[in-house]
Amino acid sequence: MPTPMEIFKLLPKTNCKICGEQTCMSFAFKVITRERKLEDCKPLFDEEKYKKQLEELINLLEPLEKATETGLIVEEDLCTGCANCVVVCPVHASEDPYGMGSGKGPTIENPILLIENGVVKVINMLLCRRYGKERILCVACRENCPTDAIRFLEE
Amino acid sequence: MLIQATCAGCACLCDDIVVEKNGEFKVKNACRRGAGIFLNYLEGRAKPSINGETSSLEEAIERASEIIADSKKLAVYGMDTITLEAQKLAIKIAEKTDAFIDDCSSFCLGNFVEACLRGEIPTTTLDYVRDNAYVIIYWGANPVHSSPRHMSRYSYFPRGKNRQRGYEEDRFLVVIDVRKDHTSKIVKKNEVFIEPESDAELIDSFVKIMEGKAAKYSGEVAGILREIKKGDAVVFGGLGLRYGLEGDFKKFYNLLRKLNEFSKVYFIPAGFHSNMRGFNESLFEKTGYVNRYSFGEQTSRKEFEFSKLLTSSIPDTTLIIGSDPVNSLPFDVSMHLSKINTITIDPRRTFTTEISDVVIPSSISGVENGGTMVRSDGVKIKLNSVFENKFDDTYILERILERI
Repeated sequence: MPTPMEIFKLLPKTNCKICGEQTCMSFAFKVITRERKLEDCKPLFDEEKYKKQLEELINLLEPLEKATETGLIVEEDLCTGCANCVVVCPVHASEDPYGMGSGKGPTIENPILLIENGVVKVINMLLCRRYGKERILCVACRENCPTDAIRFLEE
Repeated sequence: MLIQATCAGCACLCDDIVVEKNGEFKVKNACRRGAGIFLNYLEGRAKPSINGETSSLEEAIERASEIIADSKKLAVYGMDTITLEAQKLAIKIAEKTDAFIDDCSSFCLGNFVEACLRGEIPTTTLDYVRDNAYVIIYWGANPVHSSPRHMSRYSYFPRGKNRQRGYEEDRFLVVIDVRKDHTSKIVKKNEVFIEPESDAELIDSFVKIMEGKAAKYSGEVAGILREIKKGDAVVFGGLGLRYGLEGDFKKFYNLLRKLNEFSKVYFIPAGFHSNMRGFNESLFEKTGYVNRYSFGEQTSRKEFEFSKLLTSSIPDTTLIIGSDPVNSLPFDVSMHLSKINTITIDPRRTFTTEISDVVIPSSISGVENGGTMVRSDGVKIKLNSVFENKFDDTYILERILERI
């Protein structure tokens, strides 16, 4: 996962404020949290001398594309399908106490996570506590993953 | 079309699997291990053959029956992944031919299952564990790999009737293992992970601390005992514990009895084949022993273990059902299979089917045929069939039984 510093090093570092941020460093932070897109940095795309840096940046930010809107990344190769994440999820426990909250399969229509073909899949991000403006940085699913198959962008 | 299925991948026997057949073939709720069985059910299937040449199913059954009828000493082995109904038929075949009968439990967790069946140690069901247990102890087991949904479905994570807050506040996890593995990664800050040098020493520590003396693992053990006093505890023993005890099972059983003097502590074996306990129970009902039985001598002895029988070249024919000893037993043992008549009944091509004289393909339990299996805690679970295949183990074993 790229750090804001790594992104910053490849930006123009002129603090030109065209993107709307005060400094290139704060722009780098917001690219990681996906509040800003790389395309907002106009000089990077317009000027020839940044071409090499731009290519590196695009490569660096590739894993960000895989993440969901709440910043959740599932490494399917590592997942054993143990369903710990499905059962521990506090939203699942309150919405579906006798299904997923009790360790069984889901009885509600659109759960956040579901084990499909032996690996965890993100089905409905809208329910997640990390979604929307009043989000909480909940990490229950990541904390209880024995094989580190779940990661979050900010970590 | 959605079909409710039961996964027969391990002794958890999860009965909440949903299979989507129309369009894209999808398996929901099953772990990686279980989903693989459903998704790849058509791959690597065995074909009926006699002496390496392809034949029809009936011919293979006919030839197998002839070999069994002509044999002087038959050994029946495997049966841990087939249904209870088929296991009972296999036991009948062994009884009719005065054969030896054994399954993987003789080198797996058979001793623990036997102790549970004889009532030597207090045991309970996994549903009781989910509703009531407070301290969950995994001793020499790595459920993340052996039975992936064990922790999330029955023991540590789910919320139960009297444990409404689940793993957050209402459970206390203890993992005892010789190395840091994936299960021990789940142990939280205030919980306990012990890496013992020897299981006997750890048991001694428990006994000594209960008597008020100092011991090697006093810090960890005292903490565990304090938690055990707060609520029901359950010990899930795996293969690590079975071999760690080095044959001294009494020592561990005594510890369980002693722990029960001041709180409720149960034991459930964890992490074995889907229906190993079913075989143990069927044979126990019939003979009073769980494995290593000889119908010829009407008794069970250590020498009747399948691997020991092979090395001492006692049987002249083996009937292997749903097992792959060439893969799972050491080469020095399994090489003896090539010297005797080997009949294998298995849904898939394995190393054992490659060296067998007669191969009879069967169906996969839980995928192509229904039936009953016994979960690791002794509860009977019904299986559904998702696909059609009438040539299952019951069909094949009935035909063989008729002809011998």
